[in-house]
Amino acid sequence: MKLTRRQFGAATLAALVVGAGRASAADPIKIGAVNPYTGPMALYGDEVTRGFELAADWVNAQGGVLGRQIQIVRASAASAQEGIAAVEQLVGRDKVDILTGTYVTAISNAASESAMNYGKLYWETNALARDLTDRGLPNFARSGPSGREFAQRSVEGVLKLVASRLGKDPKDLQVWLEHEDSAYGTSIAREQESLFKAAGVKVGVGVHSAKSIDVTDSILRAKATAPDVWMSTAYVVDTNLLLRAMRDQGFKPQAIVLLGVGDTRETLEALGAEFLEGVVLVSYARPDINPAYGPGAAAYLKAYQAKYNRDPIAPQSMNAYVGLKILFEAIAAAGSVDYEKVIAAAAALDRPLGTYECGYGAKFDDKMQNTRALPVVAQWQGGTVKAVYPANAAAEGVKVVNLPRA
Amino acid sequence: MSEILNIIAVGLLLGGVYSLVSVGLNLIFGVIRIVNFAQGEFVMLGMYGAFAAQVALHMDPYVAVVLVTPALFLLGAVVYAVILRPLGGEPMMQIFATFGLLMVLQNVILAVSGGAAYSVDSVLSSRSVSIGPLQFGLVRVVALTASSVVAAGLGLYLKLSLQGKAIRAVAQDRKAAQLMGIDVERVYTITFGVGAALAGLAGCLLSPLYTMSPQIGTNFILPAFAVVVLGGLGSVLGAYVGGFIVGLTEALAGYYIDPSLKDAVLFLMFIIVLIVRPSGLFGHAGAEEVGLREQS
Repeated sequence: MKLTRRQFGAATLAALVVGAGRASAADPIKIGAVNPYTGPMALYGDEVTRGFELAADWVNAQGGVLGRQIQIVRASAASAQEGIAAVEQLVGRDKVDILTGTYVTAISNAASESAMNYGKLYWETNALARDLTDRGLPNFARSGPSGREFAQRSVEGVLKLVASRLGKDPKDLQVWLEHEDSAYGTSIAREQESLFKAAGVKVGVGVHSAKSIDVTDSILRAKATAPDVWMSTAYVVDTNLLLRAMRDQGFKPQAIVLLGVGDTRETLEALGAEFLEGVVLVSYARPDINPAYGPGAAAYLKAYQAKYNRDPIAPQSMNAYVGLKILFEAIAAAGSVDYEKVIAAAAALDRPLGTYECGYGAKFDDKMQNTRALPVVAQWQGGTVKAVYPANAAAEGVKVVNLPRA
Repeated sequence: MSEILNIIAVGLLLGGVYSLVSVGLNLIFGVIRIVNFAQGEFVMLGMYGAFAAQVALHMDPYVAVVLVTPALFLLGAVVYAVILRPLGGEPMMQIFATFGLLMVLQNVILAVSGGAAYSVDSVLSSRSVSIGPLQFGLVRVVALTASSVVAAGLGLYLKLSLQGKAIRAVAQDRKAAQLMGIDVERVYTITFGVGAALAGLAGCLLSPLYTMSPQIGTNFILPAFAVVVLGGLGSVLGAYVGGFIVGLTEALAGYYIDPSLKDAVLFLMFIIVLIVRPSGLFGHAGAEEVGLREQS
């Protein structure tokens, strides 16, 4: 049979159309991961995305979501401006269906608004500022704890665990709240202050700049009020500086509570295991959590080690991993990646605490903040971090140590 | 009473830190008349140098000084010869070039370190000394002592040595110095090297105090500018005393007013000094325009 040029063209076109149709059915669901992969925050940005990638591997091994594989596409954003550009690139060039992130609140803030312009879902897992959900952006939900949950858990830990170990009634307790002066530290400290005051605790508040060359003045102000509990919400470098100044000045509160940071090798190397023994940490759950509290955490750790040939750098990755697992459930329930349908399906989720690896459940409030995502209270013990509160989060055999501090 | 004494002690010790960081900056400004924005990055490199020496050779940062300081001298000399000398006729471009250098150094260290924060351990790290009711970390006492020795040593070097005299001659009048047979470019290269070496020394000595990040240098540079302007542009004694003024201001304002307002208080003072005495407390009149004069 002789094929004319016109017939050949028609056949080619038909093949292309059929092929394209088939390809779209088997196309992966692309999720754009907006995080800083360059610059000073790259270490943690990368760590968060590792959580996303592990979640994708996990769900793909089970056949994916809606019969489609999940593909994570990275776009680096180290600032709010870059966050907007990253979304434009992910949606315009990479054709992603959904966006997720973010290690930094400011980046999340800008990137999620940009995602809204493109009509895409922005599924937040890690950024902390309460404002993100309070904006009421219709394409936005947060699966992980916000700063408020961190503040609440820290106050709960002090009132229920620390106060009883110190043998004090909350009304006799003197607490110092040290915080760095950006929106991150300030918003959490304000929340803590109001919760403590409601419980009748006497509170002193100190503010410092995270870029300070010296924070001895902050430590001396705290020392002058002789607090039983010294709490801090800051970044790694200034947290270490505060603890060093505390040691140099011979300031020895009965309990030291660090929120969000101070739970990594960076602080261990700076202060040493001996000084840190018993320091209380309010942080994301770690893989060594009690399996009854966070089922599957050990399997997560194994998967992480197998893929990246090392232990997790920080617990942020498991929080990101859980966040995407909740997202996959919402997509499956919605039967679509359309943001309105996914948000509606997520809002209808009702999973009890202890469903996921971090001990989270899933129940979103009207601002689309997951109210069943709570950090844990942990302690430095012999150079490692162990969860100690809630009691059922503590792994078998783990006890509270050095509280009050020797 | 012990409270105010303690705050003054804290301020003086912090002043030692600032003096140490600022002396090199002021030397470079006084002689070459370049505002070196990358000076904080040289301090940062000194810190990472101490860290590298500890990891590779198990050296205490106080021993690593003997390696890091000459290395920074060489780096400074090379930076001057390769980057700044070709821009000699354009002072503004030189300043921009130092800003570019700041970005390059920060990002190189960032790329090498992967953004992780590191700490250096020293035998003195967790030691503190008590005098009566006062208590302070030994690392800070060492920094204070070192800044005093450095300021005195640099002052004497400039005053007594032939090289120092050449540096002063160039600072006072470049053309006249050239006519007297002084190799001006050589003096500039050495001066920039010495300035960088002093920053490296500061970085080494301060490394046990701080958790290092590639950005830590910029935390030092702003107060260092305040030190230089307050103490006197181009004056070694000015940088030394200016350090204590800034340290004491920060400590007193931080403790008695509010730590979050100490920068505001400091820079208010900075502006007032600029208006009332533009050459700084120990600078010679006009030094802000022509650079270093006689060392006091």
